[in-house]
Amino acid sequence: MDFARPHQGERLRLGLRNLYIVPTRFGWWWLAGSAMLQLVAIQMQSNGPLLLSFLMLGLFLLTLHLTHFNLQGLELRCGSPPPGFAGERLTYPLLARSRSHCEGLRLRLEQGELGPARVLPPGEHALALTWTPLRRGLQRPGRLRLQTTAPLGLFVCWSRWDLPEAQLVYPARRPGPVALVSQPSETASTVAASPSSQEGQEAWHDLRPHRPEDGSARLAWKLLAQGRGRHSKRFQAPPPRAALLAADPSVPQEQALEHLSEEICRLHARGEAYGLVLDGQVIPVGSGTAQRDRSLAALALAS
Amino acid sequence: MGLLGLGLAGLQPSLLLGGLAIGLGVLTTLKLLEARSLEEHRLVGLLQLVGCGVVAALRPDLGPSLLLATATLVALSGLLALELGEGLAWPVLLRRSAQVLAAALPVTLVLFLLLPRLGPITPMPGDRGASAATGLSDRLDPGSIAALATRHDPAARVAFSGGQPPPPGERYWRVLVHDRFDGRAWSSGTPLPRHPDDPRQPPRSSASPTENGQLWLVEPSGLAAVPWNGWGRPLSRELLPDPGGELLHRGPPGQRRAYALGEGDGTARWQRQPPLPGDLLLPEGANPRLEALGARWAQLGSDGARLQAAGTWFRSQPFRYSLEPGLLPSRAPLDTFLFERRLGFCGHYASAFTALMRSAGVPARVVSGYRGGSWVRPLGGVPYLDLRQSDAHAWSQVWLQGRGWVEVDPTAWVAEAQTGQGTRGERGALVWLQQQWWGLDIAWTRLWLGFDREGQESLVRRLLGAHLNWLGALLVAAVATSLALGLGLLGWLARGQGSDPWRRERDSLLRALARHGLTPEPGDTLAQVAARGGQRWPALAQELEHVVALYQRHWFAPRPADARRPSLERRQLGELRRSRRQLQRQLGRLAGRLKPGCLSRLIGVRRVD
Repeated sequence: MDFARPHQGERLRLGLRNLYIVPTRFGWWWLAGSAMLQLVAIQMQSNGPLLLSFLMLGLFLLTLHLTHFNLQGLELRCGSPPPGFAGERLTYPLLARSRSHCEGLRLRLEQGELGPARVLPPGEHALALTWTPLRRGLQRPGRLRLQTTAPLGLFVCWSRWDLPEAQLVYPARRPGPVALVSQPSETASTVAASPSSQEGQEAWHDLRPHRPEDGSARLAWKLLAQGRGRHSKRFQAPPPRAALLAADPSVPQEQALEHLSEEICRLHARGEAYGLVLDGQVIPVGSGTAQRDRSLAALALAS
Repeated sequence: MGLLGLGLAGLQPSLLLGGLAIGLGVLTTLKLLEARSLEEHRLVGLLQLVGCGVVAALRPDLGPSLLLATATLVALSGLLALELGEGLAWPVLLRRSAQVLAAALPVTLVLFLLLPRLGPITPMPGDRGASAATGLSDRLDPGSIAALATRHDPAARVAFSGGQPPPPGERYWRVLVHDRFDGRAWSSGTPLPRHPDDPRQPPRSSASPTENGQLWLVEPSGLAAVPWNGWGRPLSRELLPDPGGELLHRGPPGQRRAYALGEGDGTARWQRQPPLPGDLLLPEGANPRLEALGARWAQLGSDGARLQAAGTWFRSQPFRYSLEPGLLPSRAPLDTFLFERRLGFCGHYASAFTALMRSAGVPARVVSGYRGGSWVRPLGGVPYLDLRQSDAHAWSQVWLQGRGWVEVDPTAWVAEAQTGQGTRGERGALVWLQQQWWGLDIAWTRLWLGFDREGQESLVRRLLGAHLNWLGALLVAAVATSLALGLGLLGWLARGQGSDPWRRERDSLLRALARHGLTPEPGDTLAQVAARGGQRWPALAQELEHVVALYQRHWFAPRPADARRPSLERRQLGELRRSRRQLQRQLGRLAGRLKPGCLSRLIGVRRVD
């Protein structure tokens, strides 16, 4: 039943030119039931089944119009879709304006499932579609199918619309190695993108009373030999240097971008500063939501 | 489903349509139990609707019709609920269903009233002689009944178009004609050959059954013959007068039957149908004393004299009426009754008298049916004659040269006061309620039955007169118009939906104020408009302030979050509505006391209409 030509354009106003309507399978059954009651009425010369048969026929004719009226006059336009990550469910906002009651409206994206039936009273309404993009970049959810079978399910009235507004999709988040460029002049060094410990193991920092679980490796033997008791050495990692992140050249590009996406989110969650070097473009070191969005957008749109 | 199940109660599964209806009911229940998807639930709704239609064909009376109409509404509500989501409350769904039904009603009525109807495709199989449920039987053997049980079950109801029943002496409602006698019992013989002029179909009449006739509602019976007065003109195609004087109904047996009779000319074709040789047959020697008495009367000169002699003889003998006469012997049972016991009920007298007439050479038959009945005037509906099984009666008909078949009731000769007619033995509120209900039922059936195929054709002829060729165009135009009317009605009904009732009250108030020249300025709040109104009509200042306070309380006052909230809101809305209406009335009175234009000058605002 998708022979209908999809509408192209910034906004969609449903009317006679872009709405299509045919009986559902249930509608044909309904007609068959009405015909059967006609036969019973003729054979029995009875008013009861005759009236019910005509009522069913009348409802059939009436719902042809009511189903069409449900969508007729409905105006749709896209909202500003918020960016999201590939592989995750994203929300795509729509703004609908209906002049009359719109019953049983169901929305479905291409390849998606039919949404629940909604009733839209007259006025403005915010609708949300959910979809799962598989690729990064500026992506469109595809073709939207709006349909209704209300009030009785005898007819299906539908229209299709190629959603015009693209949604920014970041690379999927995937843990893995990223390259760090601490200074623009230095060569990049690859680090594991595992969370580093604050405790560290390199710089001696302090002493504390020894605990059995500290093991002998950290025991301050010198102090013990001096008879000053058992103490454990405390070490600390060197203070984090604000680094520029870059794609790890040893992994395929798309995968490297996904690792960067994960690393940026991790650093942002920890409140750390970072920058990004990508495609010769440098995003200076910074932190905060704007820095994250700028960096992720650069990843999403990287060539 | 429960409503449909109630409608199915009492249907006979052995009949084709009864079996179909019960099968549909069972199928709907099973489908409902296993339905999971939207499509399956829709199918349940459709099966329920079709089931309602089939049951309606079998149970056209008022009670089942109301049940089935409710079941139809529920089925439509279910279908609506499937489409609109499950979050809607039942009252909302029912209201919406009623609206959709109301919108579909115009086009339904147009099709129902104007679309020409077809006749039955095949004749419905009748079933003459099945087990009797009415108290009447093909076989009349009074000698085998020791005591006749008096049953007050309803048998039939008949309404008269004149609103008055016939005089008590004329209330004989014949059902069966027994023309074969074996010396002890009477039975119905083979159907008489139909007269060449006797039409197979009753005459088509443009008269509605509600004009000059009777409307019968007969309780389920296994008999094909139905009660009638013997000379009414059948108005339904299902009715077929038998040459013997029975009225046969070709509808499905075992169901309640309703039919109409027009007013005849006082005679019927069967009354002029000459007797057959079988109407004189009497087993020789079965009742010798009876035969001897009949032979004596046979020597009289005419059939009339023989009939008169029989009447004189019956009145002169000490006969008594009794419902417990005891069994009669298998040998010469009628001799025992006539000359020894002289105790019996109507079957004894009719049987013995008919046999005497045959032995006297007068063709005679026994007729069974009902006699009398109670005239009921319900508070609502139509007055009707209530016939019970205890009104079952048997009498005779004899052939008199020049007069045809004449009905004779020998029971009336012997014990007019002892026949027990009219003794119901049941009174009380329940019976009274039942009588009221039956009054409504018969009014409903009169209306429902009145519009059959002939009635529909008659209506079309009245509407179009000589322009019957225009029926097709008229039908198309009427369907289109009624469809537009239905859609308009639905749009009108949906106008108020969705908008807030509080805002509607506010808008009503503002419209009322505007009619009297007070229109809001841009940026005005309701309170500011009311304040200006108070300045212009000081007498109304307090009321205006009160209405505004009620409106603002709804939006700004803290409200309970528990279950009391809806009822509280309803009360407050009602209070606002009452206050607003009172204010409008006061405003109207104030304007009415002032001459036209005076109010505008008083408030200094140009009247805007």
